[in-house]
Amino acid sequence: MIVFSQVNKFYGDFQVLKDINLTINKGEVVVVIGPSGSGKSTLLRCINHLESISNGTLTVNEVSVSDKKTDINKLRKEIGMVFQHFHLYPHKTVLQNITLAPMKVLGQSDEEAKKIAMKYLEKVGIAEKANALPSQLSGGQQQRVAIARGLAMNPEIMLFDEPTSALDPEMIGEVLDVMKALAHEGMTMVVVTHEMGFAREVADRIVFMDQGQILEEAIPAEFYAEPKEERAKLFLSRILNH
Amino acid sequence: MDFAGAYSIDHLKFLLEGFGLTLYMAVIAIICSFIIGAVIAIIRYAKVPVISQILAVIVEIIRNLPLLLLIFFTYLALPDIGIKFNPIPAAIIALTIFEAAMLSEIIRSGLNSIDKGQIEAARSSGLNYIQTLWHIILPQALRRMVPPIVSQFISLLKDTSLAVVVSVPELLHSGQIIYGQKQAYLVPILLLIVMMYFVVNYALSILSRRLEVKNT
Ligand SMILES: Nc1ncnc2c1ncn2[C@@H]1O[C@H](COP(=O)(O)OP(=O)(O)OP(=O)(O)O)[C@@H](O)[C@H]1O
Ligand SMILES: [Mg+2]
Repeated sequence: MIVFSQVNKFYGDFQVLKDINLTINKGEVVVVIGPSGSGKSTLLRCINHLESISNGTLTVNEVSVSDKKTDINKLRKEIGMVFQHFHLYPHKTVLQNITLAPMKVLGQSDEEAKKIAMKYLEKVGIAEKANALPSQLSGGQQQRVAIARGLAMNPEIMLFDEPTSALDPEMIGEVLDVMKALAHEGMTMVVVTHEMGFAREVADRIVFMDQGQILEEAIPAEFYAEPKEERAKLFLSRILNH
Repeated sequence: MDFAGAYSIDHLKFLLEGFGLTLYMAVIAIICSFIIGAVIAIIRYAKVPVISQILAVIVEIIRNLPLLLLIFFTYLALPDIGIKFNPIPAAIIALTIFEAAMLSEIIRSGLNSIDKGQIEAARSSGLNYIQTLWHIILPQALRRMVPPIVSQFISLLKDTSLAVVVSVPELLHSGQIIYGQKQAYLVPILLLIVMMYFVVNYALSILSRRLEVKNT
């Protein structure tokens, strides 16, 4: 469903992604980990073309992401994204945050979009906040709204870039629970996170990145028991003992 | 000082007519300069190639000219190249050009102050650039821009008095005509003019504060 082949990306002289080969299949949950600056966010952001690749090929549903002829807005309908800092629209209510894209991009009627938005708000457990402004919600609630906003487009793929890193510890669980439920329903997910519990429970694969390269790919049980790569071992011991 | 004589019905009528013209010029210049300023700001914000660089240079030049010079220029210099305006349109055009340059900078910095994450969230949900600008960036930026924009409108209203130099019969000009008849009218008339400007500008700044409070 998502295929990176020989993908490189440069910022000027600096190479952020090196020879990336990665295939993510429908329904898979892939967790990306690695040290800060290793290129995890960049990898994720290439998938929906928030960043463009320098060379190689990257396809989503057999459509080339970098091809100039590709209708990128059409592609993005199929890919939801959740950010570390939520990025809810502060001037719109929770409900309006969710209905905006379905109405403007999918052409849903106001009524239809609201109905669908309420369905997802119930799913993430905050239907009662539909008419609140984002600033009136806790971090965990805001992130759940952001997830509902992504889901309301009925995407095939959901991307998560450190969705719990900006949250107070007591709110991490509520967001991870929503994500786990989504994984169990068969959503294709690419998740940058250091939450090991989440990775062990729902990830089909762990991708370990360092200095722009994918150093190791393994199923979680194997990876967390005994990573093959020296740098992965070092990284794991650091996040375990921090 | 002759207050009673200065404030005769005829004089007051005459002053109000001048003030009417002042407000008329200000309102037209405000509307036009806001539209032009917003368009310039958006083109530069979107970094439309070539056009945005050209606009950047023009805006810089205009912002650094005295408005008075611009008024002289439109009224006195343009006729030399065959473009001739009456004093009132000449003053309105000069005001509009000047204020559009100022407003474009205010609006542009308002747009730039919006977190790039907002754009990324909107674009990644499939909205195109224009939709993102219209539904996400502009509404948030406008709220932040209200106070500087209103204070720019206030200085525009004050700047209309510069049109006196090309004999536009605006408020200050009408005042000059009245106190030109009699020295004893000078202070009363100037006081009244001060009051007129103050009342309108003060009302504007109160409005600005209201809008600000509503937005926070
Ligand atoms: N616009 C940019 N211009 C230049 N360098 C950039 C740019 N964006 C990112 N980088 C660099 O690319 C590298 C990879 O960045 P990226 O954000 O993908 O890392 P990351 O693995 O997500 O790190 P973190 O865990 O800190 O989020 C970093 O060294 C970063 O400094
Ligand atoms: Mg990152």
